[in-house]
Amino acid sequence: MSGAPISPIRQPLVTGSKTYHQITEDLCGPTEKAPSKAWVIAFLISVAFLSLGIACILWTIWKGIGSWNLNRTIGWGWDITNFVWWIGIGHAGTLISAILLLFRQKWRTGVNRAAEAMTIFAVLCAALFPGIHVGRMWVVYFFFPYPNTRGPLWPNFNSPLLWDLFAISTYFTISLLFWYTGLVPDFATVRDRAKGFRRKLYNLLSFGWTGSAKHWQRWESLSLVLAGIATPLVLSVHTIVSFDFATSVIPGWHTTIFPPYFVAGAIFSGFAMVQTLMLITRKVLNLQDYITLEHIESMNKVILLTGTIVGVAYLTELFIAWYSGYVYEQFAFFNRAFGPYWWAYFGMMSCNLLIPQVFWWKKYRRSIVITFAMSIFVNIGMWFERFVIIATTLARDYLPSSWSWYVPTFVEVGIFLGTLGIFFTLYLIFTRVAPVVAIAEIKHILKSSGDQYASGHAEKHRTGQSLVVEDHHH
Amino acid sequence: MNREFVFTGRERTFCFVLMGIGVLSMVLCFFGDDELQTRFWSNFLHNSVFFTGIAFMALFLYSAFITGWSGWHIVFKRVWEGIYLFLPVGLILMLIIAAGLWLDFHHLYEWNDTSALNPDKLHDQIILGKTGFLNKFWFTGGTILFVGIWYFIATRLRGLSVAEDNEERDPNFSKHRKMRIWAAAILPIGGFTSAFLIWQWVMSVDSAWYSTMFAWYAAASWLVSMLCLTAIFTAYLKGRGYLEQVSHEHLHDMGKYIFAFSIFWTYLWFSQFMLIWYANVGEETIYFRERMDSYPILFWANLAVNFALPFLVLMRNSTKRKYGSLLFIASVVFIGHWMDFFLMIKPGVRKTAEHLTHAAGDAHHGAASFMSGFTIPGFIDIGTMLGFLGLFIFVVFSNMSRASLYPANDPYLAESIHHHV
Repeated sequence: MSGAPISPIRQPLVTGSKTYHQITEDLCGPTEKAPSKAWVIAFLISVAFLSLGIACILWTIWKGIGSWNLNRTIGWGWDITNFVWWIGIGHAGTLISAILLLFRQKWRTGVNRAAEAMTIFAVLCAALFPGIHVGRMWVVYFFFPYPNTRGPLWPNFNSPLLWDLFAISTYFTISLLFWYTGLVPDFATVRDRAKGFRRKLYNLLSFGWTGSAKHWQRWESLSLVLAGIATPLVLSVHTIVSFDFATSVIPGWHTTIFPPYFVAGAIFSGFAMVQTLMLITRKVLNLQDYITLEHIESMNKVILLTGTIVGVAYLTELFIAWYSGYVYEQFAFFNRAFGPYWWAYFGMMSCNLLIPQVFWWKKYRRSIVITFAMSIFVNIGMWFERFVIIATTLARDYLPSSWSWYVPTFVEVGIFLGTLGIFFTLYLIFTRVAPVVAIAEIKHILKSSGDQYASGHAEKHRTGQSLVVEDHHH
Repeated sequence: MNREFVFTGRERTFCFVLMGIGVLSMVLCFFGDDELQTRFWSNFLHNSVFFTGIAFMALFLYSAFITGWSGWHIVFKRVWEGIYLFLPVGLILMLIIAAGLWLDFHHLYEWNDTSALNPDKLHDQIILGKTGFLNKFWFTGGTILFVGIWYFIATRLRGLSVAEDNEERDPNFSKHRKMRIWAAAILPIGGFTSAFLIWQWVMSVDSAWYSTMFAWYAAASWLVSMLCLTAIFTAYLKGRGYLEQVSHEHLHDMGKYIFAFSIFWTYLWFSQFMLIWYANVGEETIYFRERMDSYPILFWANLAVNFALPFLVLMRNSTKRKYGSLLFIASVVFIGHWMDFFLMIKPGVRKTAEHLTHAAGDAHHGAASFMSGFTIPGFIDIGTMLGFLGLFIFVVFSNMSRASLYPANDPYLAESIHHHV
């Protein structure tokens, strides 16, 4: 609503007094130039890791799941830890696009495109793990519930693992559609500046978008419908991932707070990964006018909020374990904190609950260095959280005779590094072929949040009380 | 422009009539009650917790909105200020409950009657194991300290908010910036302390039972009730010619909040219920088993009224933008969440009373028999609720009459006036 008044207390979200043309230039530019040396080096490193990952996956399939260090007691290790970690990271994009849209947070426009792309790549990495951890990957289609001749072999509809399959595939589909829908007008902008084959290609990608009123109208309706579907989906995915654990009777897994606490943790880690990527991207692609300190500060606030929610959940679990009077539950938590994997618990508590509290200070919320360091801490902390829940809990089961210890093999570590390679390779390609900031959406908020306009509001506001009347038809 | 709210004689009379009904119901209840005054005191606890929580939630959401740089709600923010200033009254109500722990005039909490607990019985052993937390010192101390802190922060926020009205326009918005600090402070403080108090006040009536979700579940129920009351109060003030800046656009967003948080409440309800049902651990399922067997009307009505109804009715845009439909839903859902707290508190209190009055050892088998005031709310319980509601409205309206309803210098005022969905 560019005509409505904007409070002078708000900071501009687009700086540098941009014109519409400059926005197009700045944001299409990276896709039109030859890649920089830094990009090429980063790409080669990513592809190297990706290759390592593929080699390790092939080795797992060739040699069997015995190439991992799982055992009878610890049936899930790095595989499911990485799966949950990646799924969590894949939450920020759709949260930014859908839920922040519902809450009318305009700062989402600076980061939504890249965050959505990141979501899709992270979900791809996540989806890999359930596939390979079954061991016999060539029969992985057994997961899918369709009429078959396999006799009594039929997916168990009562199992949260099957719900997970549906949740993730639905989430992936909607996220992809949402992301692509947003890209259509921007692909058309790139096309209009391109020549030859490139022009044909982007024309195809933009479905022949002409920017007519009818197109915009349909585009807006579609975006709204997808946002409506995506909102419950963001919550459902990690809720169902938490069911994988919480529907069991394993002490430390069976706890009712898991669904909302997993969702909060997912948003937390997703935002941390967005920070990691955006801080590098804005610097390398010179996007400081679009991803401003305001954006970074807002995301840090979300990190502080969700980190503290996760903290409330940690302490609730710990307290209720004592309160329950249930000795196995009490032992599970005692084991987490003081058992053989105490360092994982300590890492989780400090990285997720304690260290993010520095964001209470505005100075640190607006510091690039601190923010970057924090985003790495949170990524590590959230990985530890899943490791604590999975491996630490399993390592000490009911019978001390079956207690065990688990260290991953190079194959397991290699697969994890491989997913990082996949993730960064896809992200780097993305920065070359599509505008990393949504051009159309930035243009949409320019008149209300561009610095040259925002400061105008402030001036008017300061000089007179009659803003209410004056600004009505601004 | 009608900006100064006048709390009229008629409105006062209305509140006093409600309070009169409440006192009458409580007197009738007291003299017709069992030897432990179970119904009387469970009603007292239920309503005190319900309205104190609503006041807390107004403070919490108000602070969340300041922290999130929300602009649209400014034209009715004085309603929230009125609601959260009920906190000191809520503190007194809860202190009456706390006093009962020391003076033994009620027997709401099984853990407080330690002499009746038998260390040889497993059930009682578990409760004895919790007495490091479930005791009158923590209950009283936590209530005074935490509700005290809430109220302290509430007065800071209210003071700054009203002071902003009466000054020259400040280009730096220093008052608002100070409000941000208090608002940010209450979020983690409120997040941790509300869980503590919900465990003490509500979850511990079923002393042996536990659920990690419970605090968030109860808090979500408070939140929806608070949103419903906000819509009702705002619409009432509008009808009386106040809050002329509030438009259908604001109503629409209030409707969205009721819609969204009703779904959120259902999400928490489902997560808690489904996980307990699925894992089928006896210590946990007993909570729902009892409610489904002995309190089926409330158990299912809870879902129908608090989920199905707002979900289906508020789905459309038009129902959120009309006073009639929004007020209808707000009123019914408000009562629905009152029933939700009824269902959280009454079964546990009843079992404690039975435990204390019958000889220990005769465990309950099968469904408990129908008992008015427990199985479903009777006239006496509804009357008691009306009494508390009268008190609540009286306090909220008195508070609203102490400052202008129009926050003239709020930095977001213009945005709020021109709010367009």
